Amino acid sequence: MKTLAHLLFVIVFCASAASVFGAEPEVSHFITARWGAGIVRGGTQLLDFSWQPEARWRFDDGGRLTGRLRLRAQTEPGTRPGDIEKASFAPATMPQTIGETGELDLRELYYERPLDDWYLTIGKQQVVWGKADGLKVLDVVNPQSFREFILEDFEQSRIPLWTINAERSIDDWLGGDWTLQLLWIPDMTYHALPKQNATYAFSSPRLVPQPPPGVSARIRSPQKPDRLFADSDVGIRLSGFVSGWDISFNYLYQYDNRPALHQRFISGETTLVEITPRYHRTHVLGGTVSHAIGDWVFRGELGYFTNHYFLSNDPQAQDGVANSSELSVVIGLDWSGLEDTFISTQWFQSWLPDYQQGFTRPRLDTSLSLLLRRKFWNDVLQAELLWIANTDDNDGLLRPGFSYELEDNLEIRAGLDIFYGSRAGLFGQFDDNDRFYFVIKYGL
Amino acid sequence: MTDIFRWVLVAVAFLPTLLTAAELPDGDEIARRINARDEGVAVARNLTMQMTDRRGKTRTRETRGFRKYYGDDKRTVIFYLQPKNVKDTAFLTWDYADPDRDDDQWLYLPAMRKVRRISASDRGDYFLGTDLTYEDIKLETRVSMADYSRVTTGEDVVDGHHCYLVEATPVDLATAKELGYGKVEQCVDEKIWMVRRARFWDTKGNPLKTAYFRDIRQVQGIWTQHRIEVENHKTGHKTLFLFSDVDYRHGVSDELFTREALKRGL
Repeated sequence: MKTLAHLLFVIVFCASAASVFGAEPEVSHFITARWGAGIVRGGTQLLDFSWQPEARWRFDDGGRLTGRLRLRAQTEPGTRPGDIEKASFAPATMPQTIGETGELDLRELYYERPLDDWYLTIGKQQVVWGKADGLKVLDVVNPQSFREFILEDFEQSRIPLWTINAERSIDDWLGGDWTLQLLWIPDMTYHALPKQNATYAFSSPRLVPQPPPGVSARIRSPQKPDRLFADSDVGIRLSGFVSGWDISFNYLYQYDNRPALHQRFISGETTLVEITPRYHRTHVLGGTVSHAIGDWVFRGELGYFTNHYFLSNDPQAQDGVANSSELSVVIGLDWSGLEDTFISTQWFQSWLPDYQQGFTRPRLDTSLSLLLRRKFWNDVLQAELLWIANTDDNDGLLRPGFSYELEDNLEIRAGLDIFYGSRAGLFGQFDDNDRFYFVIKYGL
Repeated sequence: MTDIFRWVLVAVAFLPTLLTAAELPDGDEIARRINARDEGVAVARNLTMQMTDRRGKTRTRETRGFRKYYGDDKRTVIFYLQPKNVKDTAFLTWDYADPDRDDDQWLYLPAMRKVRRISASDRGDYFLGTDLTYEDIKLETRVSMADYSRVTTGEDVVDGHHCYLVEATPVDLATAKELGYGKVEQCVDEKIWMVRRARFWDTKGNPLKTAYFRDIRQVQGIWTQHRIEVENHKTGHKTLFLFSDVDYRHGVSDELFTREALKRGL
């Protein structure tokens, strides 16, 4: 209730402040209903109603204040607000649970304005880096909710953070136009992971320790960083356009959004493994490119993480985890040579230079994605098929679907989410969660 | 003698046509005059697009657009304002005068929160569900000298205005396929050098669509179209483009034509 009170205070304060400066808000809304039915397990898997009001105030000095709320009800056990581990949220960022099925979330609240040569955006916001679709390498500035694994739209699953974001244009430098972005993120919120009994709870040995038979596991509260300045994330990006190429160089000093699951065996009447999620610092260095040639668009993204922790079965590994640097790369090729048709392929590879015996993931991990999209009837109807596959575990995800614009502001979507392959894999672990979904979205 | 008489008869029969053709300005000359028109260095305007399908169902998009010339190069940006489900979508084009250089284009989709590079060779694709192509939108009131060869075929009257009929044919099959047109006939107002009507045929020679450019009046001394009606004869789909709040005088900031501006929106 305390968080809810804070949330309401912030909203009322900002609205009042805006009114004092004589700004009238521009208000709009999204109302969305989502229903998902299990194909393997049967029954309703997901029932989600959300109302997302948005208000924007404009000031005479060129500044803008934007606020977005999300009030939603998720009624099906396994995908309710309480089925997500909330301990990974900082108190100022945590959504407020209302009863068993309701959730109120201040999605964004930021003030932005030009200031001399700078453009400042201050407040709770999303910062999106990278050129890859669906597969994330540098899009790690904001953590993500895995309530529905990666099935929920990133716009909804990405967790906005309290951030100071300053951008400055640098024209005619090194033969191109550049923008420098500086980020300070004093918000210690990390990935929101499903609880053990949630519908999309992780079970893959890549992600979750597998205690020996007869040994039970107990998960402790995560050990989170909590020092406002010392534990902040900071980032810098230089992005530019040179000779037809979009280029960026990125650096982020952050706590890895994925906790390392440190394990400790406790012997007593029964043997127990105690799991403590801990967050570790990493430097992220990377860059992106994209370039259009005729019908083709080439996209590339590279990220080097100095310190990632992985589960390890090696008895020598301390606490059941060991660290390595990680180099990830995505190469994407988009083709739009046929009218109203878009085909996109991506090749994703992650390599662990400091790979150690016993890691529960391979040293080299490869995934592929293919997106086929076609629009019909002057873009009223859109059909698409997304296929993501991991070639090491031979598992993957198929997502055929369509969207149809019934009215200007009314859209329906329907489709299938089909997981397949080894249950030890990232996708195969959800083999029983195949679903049919139907979404209706109304904007006003 | 009989042969000479026959040639004289042929010459006499075609004399009026030859004389008329001689009086009409050359197709390329008309195109040059169209492109020499003052469009202003920069313009800001609202554009409402009403798209109606063959059953009469209408969808409406409201946008705010900006265009600015940088020498012979041109930058254009369009921000979607309404309806809510496409609000904040934005489209940026850097169009180069050099015909050998592809345009650079970016699209911002708010659902992805990413500025995405898109291929500029889609110029024959229809622009975001309307009945004009990306190329049509880009050219605005101008015409491409490089893509077509032109002949003046006659005269006509559109909405009470006398026009020259100019038949433009793509320079080769590859260009025709890229543009999606096998032939375009434009009716060009002889006084203000603006197209009043354009008829399009597909690459197989079938009638494709007809566009009327109406409500042309001066804004701050520059002739400006305020209404474009396009009907696609193949699909029965129609689009009505309505321009308002056109402003050539108040400068348009260079900052608007950047990828950062796409993301920030208006």
